Amino acid sequence: MKKLLSSVIILGLCTAILSSCNIFSSRDKNTVTLNMWHNYGGDMQETMDLLIDEFNSTEGKDNGIIINVTAISSSSELNQSLDMIANGDPGAPEIPDIFTGYPKTAIKFTENNMLVNLNDYFSSDELDLYVEAFITEGKLDDGGLYVFPIAKSTEVLYLNRTLFDKFAAATGADESDLATFEGIAELATDYYSYSEGKQFFSADSWFNLTEAGSAQLGSSIFDNNGLSLNNDEFSYIFNEIFTPCVQGGFAIYDGYSSDLSKTGDIVCSTGSSAGILFYGDTITYSDGTVEQVTYDILPYPVFEGGKKTALQRGGGLMVAKSTEEKEKAACTFIKWLTSPEQNIRFIAKTGYLPVTKQAFETDLPSQFESLSDIRIKKMLTSVLAMYSEYNFFTAPNYSSFDNDSSVFEKKFIDIMNKSSDKFISGDTVDSNEALSELISVFSQ
Amino acid sequence: MKKNKQTKKKSRKTTLHRRLLLFFLSVSIFLIVSFSLTLSLFGINGGEENSVKNHISTELSIIAEEINKNFGLTSLRGIEIAEETVKLGEEFFQSRNISPSELSSHPEMIEPLLSRFMPTLVNTIKNEYCGGVFVILDASVTENKSENGNRKSGIFIKKTQPTSTDSVGVDLHFLRGPAKIARENNIMLLGQWIMEFDISGQDFFKKTIDTAKNNPQLPISRLYYWSGRITLKGNSESGFLLCVPMRGSDGTVFGICGIEISDRLFKENYSPEGGTYNNIFTAMAPRNGSDLITSEGLIAGNLYLTGTRWEHNLEFTEKNNGVVYFSNKNGSFGGLTEEIILYPSNSAYKDSESWSIAVLLDKQELTSAINGNLFYFIITAVTLILFSIVISYFISKRYLRPISEAFHSIKHESHEERNSTNYHEISDLFDFLAEKDKKYEDHIKQKEEDSLKLRSEYEKTQLELSRLAYSRKQEVDPLLYQQFLDNLSTLTPTERTVFDLYIEGKHASEIMKILGIKENTLKYHNKNIYSKLGVSSRKELLRYAAIMNREQ
Repeated sequence: MKKLLSSVIILGLCTAILSSCNIFSSRDKNTVTLNMWHNYGGDMQETMDLLIDEFNSTEGKDNGIIINVTAISSSSELNQSLDMIANGDPGAPEIPDIFTGYPKTAIKFTENNMLVNLNDYFSSDELDLYVEAFITEGKLDDGGLYVFPIAKSTEVLYLNRTLFDKFAAATGADESDLATFEGIAELATDYYSYSEGKQFFSADSWFNLTEAGSAQLGSSIFDNNGLSLNNDEFSYIFNEIFTPCVQGGFAIYDGYSSDLSKTGDIVCSTGSSAGILFYGDTITYSDGTVEQVTYDILPYPVFEGGKKTALQRGGGLMVAKSTEEKEKAACTFIKWLTSPEQNIRFIAKTGYLPVTKQAFETDLPSQFESLSDIRIKKMLTSVLAMYSEYNFFTAPNYSSFDNDSSVFEKKFIDIMNKSSDKFISGDTVDSNEALSELISVFSQ
Repeated sequence: MKKNKQTKKKSRKTTLHRRLLLFFLSVSIFLIVSFSLTLSLFGINGGEENSVKNHISTELSIIAEEINKNFGLTSLRGIEIAEETVKLGEEFFQSRNISPSELSSHPEMIEPLLSRFMPTLVNTIKNEYCGGVFVILDASVTENKSENGNRKSGIFIKKTQPTSTDSVGVDLHFLRGPAKIARENNIMLLGQWIMEFDISGQDFFKKTIDTAKNNPQLPISRLYYWSGRITLKGNSESGFLLCVPMRGSDGTVFGICGIEISDRLFKENYSPEGGTYNNIFTAMAPRNGSDLITSEGLIAGNLYLTGTRWEHNLEFTEKNNGVVYFSNKNGSFGGLTEEIILYPSNSAYKDSESWSIAVLLDKQELTSAINGNLFYFIITAVTLILFSIVISYFISKRYLRPISEAFHSIKHESHEERNSTNYHEISDLFDFLAEKDKKYEDHIKQKEEDSLKLRSEYEKTQLELSRLAYSRKQEVDPLLYQQFLDNLSTLTPTERTVFDLYIEGKHASEIMKILGIKENTLKYHNKNIYSKLGVSSRKELLRYAAIMNREQ
């Protein structure tokens, strides 16, 4: 009898303790707040904000996770801050828990063991749901997945249809010339004369242009984790763009081409397909006149004789090493954000490409007609067409990649500006001399 | 009566285990109750509203202090910008031989004038926690009558990381302003860039200009204006604008300049600590009576990324126990509010603009926090008491086990086998009992020896008595003896009792005591006995009795 009584008391007590522990645990279930940096600013910010708000009030609320966005910046700005963190620079900000970036950034962090290998939190079945090439892009040499794809882009040719049509009507310019860089160079020279000194074309990144051009021509500007420009293909590319850059037609501008487009200073430009929202539908002249214009999205130009090849862009999300609880929470958020439903909502407002197989192969084509933003519709039409015709490559991952691309860009612009000044002042300019100067920077 | 008391005492008897259990329980419950009372005394029990209110109150005072300080400093910086830009503007107008009021007639001068403001604006944005800085002139390069003067030239520079004052990793962007100036200063255009401001439907520009014009006697420091939340046309981010009039020395107000506190900056700087209550948030807004005009305010908290989505004002519903309750279409909220002083005492806006800051919680969460704490507190106390009962039961039982074993040992084992305990007190008890046992055994042995001795003496005396009786029988008259025997049966029961007591050797006083009779009564009985048995004295009576006993 006594034993029975004891058992009942113990059982009752255990139940009481466990239930109270359970009550406490549900009340005190530690809410994990994750600081996030991302580069989806401008018109994309609202879309990302809404998604994050939705996560916080649904999935996040259920799982005790709050995503707190502490920085929204351009990818280059974020990259500079992340560089400071990875290098341990004095005054560097605290590493965020989740941030957008590229594999090249991930290398620096992994060297200091600061990034989570996402393979630890995603099963192979889960990873199978994503486009394989996008997952592969986020892997580093050790096989670990450090950059999780969220949305992808490529480079395209933005064409101010309004300005081009005026130009074509006046000069008979052939739109098919826009398919090749050589054709664009010729059109640029003609436009420079036609517009009495206005530029026709610019590239968001001359480094990307030469990188893609080399790939088109079956070569590469990389060798042994560094730049190697001393080859025929690069010389050819350089010479083709040198003349319009120096004599007029190509705008050398240290910034996004969309800035020049907004003021009608160029007619077409190469840039990320995700930049569509930066182009708007007007151009504003310096006297304040605003002109309504339309843009067309054309496939990325190819150097004559080259294969249709374009750069696959778009970073991904990285997760900083932290407590297991935070890492798990970050991955819960990534899984939610990249699920087909959310992924399609994001790309429908931003012009990026989805990353899951279902969103890419099934959902996007089926929902294409319902897209409300005509600019996004144009972009996706062009990019999806490119995906059926083009080969895509990704930039190599090595630790000094950022530095190489940055030095190249600055030096290229510097050489072109100097040569242009010389040309304007009536001096002779020699493309081979300029090429040698550029090559010499990377052969030292 | 005596018996009753004894029974009662017996019923109060209890076991040591029960006594120890009660002792433990008393101590445990005393400690738990004392601890709970202490927690209550210091308000740590989460007791009802106090802990939630304390939390909100602390957050509110910290945030309000920060806001008062930061907005004050921003206002000062805004005045400095105005002073610098007015000075630069006047130099410009002088060099071009025009008055500030003629600027709108010279659109070609707008860009060069704006260009002069760039160092001031860039310097400010790089050194301030802000979303952006701006200058808006009361002029346009494309003054179009059809637009009713709603287009204004100016510059709005945005910073993508509002809380950064580093030069590395933070780029500036033009939201408004001539692209040429942006390029000259290596500043990129935002996606939402357009060249000029469109102020239609927004009164911040006109209000600042008009107030400055209508109050020429007031200095600039009394004419700055904090707008409610504004989203510039085409922009995705909103914020408060500090608008300071640019008033030339001739009294012409030719534009405004200022600083933007963007919603992201507000969120980063003024979100309450969200670890305790997830849905807690700060709202800063102009006030209308007791209502908060949140459609013109900003909110900051874990679950709110931007303030732009709150288009409904918070209407005051009730004040209960110091907690203020509001509601709007977004829900019902409760918390505390505090007035924010944005303007100096004699500002042109002092009387018309009053602002408040509130730290609020979703009403449901607030209620559950209030009730929940008490519930958890009770659950904890009950659990602890239950736990202490069980623990007391087991500890007391375990504590008494050596004593029970000792009793068992005492009952069932010899004292030689008892010395296996680890407890000094029990060992001492065993030793004490062993010694007692030994003394008792010795005593018994002595008693037995004495008994044997007495028996032998008794037998010897009996033998002597037999001999004596025989000799006495020879001395008595046989007839009188026979009469004695015959008349024994004539004695009454009382007389027989007295007779038997005499035979047993009792004296008169003992017999009186035993039978509870008085001396006269005994004498009366004696007289009857003597008369019936034919004896004359107690001595003769005892002699016949001895012979009688011997013969039997």
